[in-house]
Amino acid sequence: MIEETKRIGMERFFGSYQSMFFITLTMFIIYPFVVSDYYIDVAFFFGIYALLGLSLNIVLGEVGLFDLGHAGFYAIGAYTTAILNTKFGVPILILLPLSAAAAALFAYLVCSPIIHLRGDYLCIVTIGMGEIVRIALINNPFNLTGGPNGVYGIDFPSFGGPFVIDSSIEYYFLIWIVVALSIYGLIRLQNSHIGRAWNYIREDEVAAGASGIDVRHYKLLAFVLGAALAGVAGNIYASKLMCVSPESFTFWESCLMFCIVLIGGMGSIPGVLIGAAFISLFPEIFRPFAMYRMLIFGTVMILMMMFRPGGAWPRKRGGIGFASIFAKKDVTDD
Amino acid sequence: MDVFLEQLINGLTIGSFYALIALGYSMVYGILKLINFAHGDFFALGSYVGYTVLVFGSAVITTHFGLWGGLMAAMIIAAVCVAFVGIMVERAAYRPIYPAGRLPAVVSALGASIFIQNTIMVIWGPRYQAYPASLIPNIHIQIGGLHITMLQIVILIMSFMLLGILYWIIQKTTFGAAIRATALDKDTASLMGVDFNKVIFFIFTLGPALGAMTGVMVGMYYRQISFTMGWNYGLKAFTATIMGGIGNLPGAMFGGLILGVLEMFGAAYISAAWKDVFVFLILILVLIFRPTGLFGEKVAEKV
Amino acid sequence: MKIMKYLAMIGVLMCICMPWNAMAAAKPVVIGLQGPITGPWAYEGQMAKQSCEIAAELINQKGGILGGRMIEVRVVDDAGEPKTGALAAQRLVTQKDVVASISTYGSSICEPASTIYEKFKKVNIGYGVTAVRLTQRGYKYFFRTCGRDDSQGQFFADVVPAKFGAKRIAIMHDNTAFGKGLAEDTKRALQPMIDDGKLMIVYYDAVTPGEKDFRVTLTKLRETKPEVWYFTGYYAEAALLVSQAREIGITCPFVGGNAAINDEFIKIAGLNIAKGCYMTNEPLPADLPYEKAKEFLKAYKDKYGEIPSSPWPIYAADALNIIAYAVDNTGSTKSDVLADYLRDKVDGAPGITGPIGFTEQGDREGVPFYLYVVDDEGNIVVSK
Repeated sequence: MIEETKRIGMERFFGSYQSMFFITLTMFIIYPFVVSDYYIDVAFFFGIYALLGLSLNIVLGEVGLFDLGHAGFYAIGAYTTAILNTKFGVPILILLPLSAAAAALFAYLVCSPIIHLRGDYLCIVTIGMGEIVRIALINNPFNLTGGPNGVYGIDFPSFGGPFVIDSSIEYYFLIWIVVALSIYGLIRLQNSHIGRAWNYIREDEVAAGASGIDVRHYKLLAFVLGAALAGVAGNIYASKLMCVSPESFTFWESCLMFCIVLIGGMGSIPGVLIGAAFISLFPEIFRPFAMYRMLIFGTVMILMMMFRPGGAWPRKRGGIGFASIFAKKDVTDD
Repeated sequence: MDVFLEQLINGLTIGSFYALIALGYSMVYGILKLINFAHGDFFALGSYVGYTVLVFGSAVITTHFGLWGGLMAAMIIAAVCVAFVGIMVERAAYRPIYPAGRLPAVVSALGASIFIQNTIMVIWGPRYQAYPASLIPNIHIQIGGLHITMLQIVILIMSFMLLGILYWIIQKTTFGAAIRATALDKDTASLMGVDFNKVIFFIFTLGPALGAMTGVMVGMYYRQISFTMGWNYGLKAFTATIMGGIGNLPGAMFGGLILGVLEMFGAAYISAAWKDVFVFLILILVLIFRPTGLFGEKVAEKV
Repeated sequence: MKIMKYLAMIGVLMCICMPWNAMAAAKPVVIGLQGPITGPWAYEGQMAKQSCEIAAELINQKGGILGGRMIEVRVVDDAGEPKTGALAAQRLVTQKDVVASISTYGSSICEPASTIYEKFKKVNIGYGVTAVRLTQRGYKYFFRTCGRDDSQGQFFADVVPAKFGAKRIAIMHDNTAFGKGLAEDTKRALQPMIDDGKLMIVYYDAVTPGEKDFRVTLTKLRETKPEVWYFTGYYAEAALLVSQAREIGITCPFVGGNAAINDEFIKIAGLNIAKGCYMTNEPLPADLPYEKAKEFLKAYKDKYGEIPSSPWPIYAADALNIIAYAVDNTGSTKSDVLADYLRDKVDGAPGITGPIGFTEQGDREGVPFYLYVVDDEGNIVVSK
């Protein structure tokens, strides 16, 4: 009898989501203590891409706005951190919200005049915006950005006294705590009236406007929030690398973020994590293949879209929104 | 004045490159509503195929064809090879994905772009390759203070001819009418007897072939080619496409030419380092005031 | 509940990527080499790697150091990018068995990387990093085996205007730490002559690296009618610049800085245009008169069929030599001991590029410069 209860208990424990959650959490915590620094760094960049994916997911996944210039916001965050820290000695942790604010402000200013553009026209304008930011950084305006060499000598985040984040493990925890907090906030947001308004706009912009949703306001809000999160990622990235340079913020980087969201599944937070894992871990795992690695990467991207066009982990909820974006009813729309 | 003319010619040369690449984007976009990110890489691939033809055929070229003939041969072989690759890519990477909609196809296009780019790197190596200087005609022309080269003129004439031919195909032939009809309304067009698959076949041979010829011309013009160059030109050509009004083929041509000239004048009279910023700013301004591009028609909102 | 499902999935993913990297053997003395193994300067990086391996082999054949310990070169790739360079440096400093690092080709990549080496207290020796300010930062662990831009700039000022009888000088750089630094130092070195009214700088501006069309910039250059044109950037741009300049009718002599002309330059520009182009440079490997150089070049040629075509790989090999020398003589692999030894005690240690010694700041003492020219056969030879 007791044996029986135990067995059921075990089954329940291992079968439930709760247990899965704790097992994963434990693994996340144990992971950096059992692997080399190199693999901790890999996991760190996984975290950075997860954060960037989450930030673009707000714009692209929730509202359905094509943003292929997201690296611009990321760059603004990183450079705000880099410049204020190296020139004025502002501590990194204080710069974390400041970078987010700077990126958000930038997004507000540049997106206000273009927010009425649709689909691919918005897409090219965001590309242009990202390129303008990058070229401006290269050209070293007001001697602030250091030109192609970038800004270096950025401090580590410090909590005062001996509590300085300077090892790979500490960065690993920093980024993943930030990612976890963001996920928590984003889930709350998804279920709020803002999230619902976003999804409505994505489904049918005209109908949303007709039902009294301020479309322009909500679209701008998405850009501003997305940019703020990208700014946070930029802050952590800058302090981890201790230097920033324009080539980290190319069009290619924006494309990667775009892929993260689409490979994972639009508007799906677990999807974003899978997408980020794919983008950041795949090249590392396939490192032994040397020059063939990116070939395989491209092929796998095509194959994934062939077999899971809605993403690896599409968002399940009434009105996933693919119906309006895709010409035909999507297979994953269940 | 000489300098102005010189810059204008430079601008038109680059602009015609952009225009030729932009046509490929615009055709695919018109029919499939797909941003074909791999298109820039067709261009780069064409450049490398042309390079290979010139390097391995150098003996034959110098004895039998002469330099100009060699360049023609390189362009034609590159066009044929890349058109074939274009069809392959369409079959393998796009066709299975159309039914799923537009966004997965964008990712697939990016995947195809990475694939082609890295195939080039694996075959030809990551280093810069250089078109053999001895096989490129090098004749200077100086009219007053105006310095240009024979090659520049030939390239300019060639690309305008190509643009003209394409304009003719699209506006005057049945095929062109089929493309335009399909772009307007796919379903009605197929009811009227337009074979959708043939249209796709056509645009995926013509686009890459044009891209490849442009690639050879760019290779000749700058001589230095790299496997990543497709990205830059692709991005500019895409900008041109949008500037002209996406899906509008004459718009893409003019968009390309305007972009090239703007870029050169921006570099000459504002600042070389800020020229791309200038180009993108103009693009954004154009779109703010004409949200569907310079030559785009106003699209009614569907409810 | 969703959250748990996907977290579980991520966890599984992370387990899959657990490390397979082998434990390093404790025996050999490991010296890191950070260089552009891939990327635009892969050419330089590959040669540096080969040179360091040859240098290590030569030492190992003679029984290694510290009474029989072999030298192992551990290569990390910085792809010629500052960002990747910073990561590469972090990879090396976190590997405890790496004694010191040879890092790297390109001042702009070295600059952020060396801040990391400094923070983690690891001796790092630059081999292709000539920007003056690298050693002006008061860093304790940074050294270089190559020369500095200001000595190159001075060399240009001493030799070039006189050679061409030029009064109108154009200086063009590429906005990178290296290019801009050399351009500024050259300008400074020319200043006394400008003050005397002997010559003038008619053009001083930058081009954007990675760009392919320089015609506009060159048209501006042409309007200034220069009599000699000094470009302080890298070969990829240099080749395009010269070809396009000749096309639009700039005929004045082209003088490149020490990264502007190599075999690739000649390949891209074509012999017709490349011949007669000059460069200010450290002595090329073949022109080195030293005993150790002959031994090294013979070993290199035996293995790879030709000797390195640029001077930088040799400086990398010398960086390895001097680290090995310091470890052997101090009997220590501690960074502090090594840094102090290199700074204060080393004087005239045998090197491939001549006797090695370092100044208080970590600069190499006494590196000569030559003016080279591309001859009609496409060889880079000392200009008479």
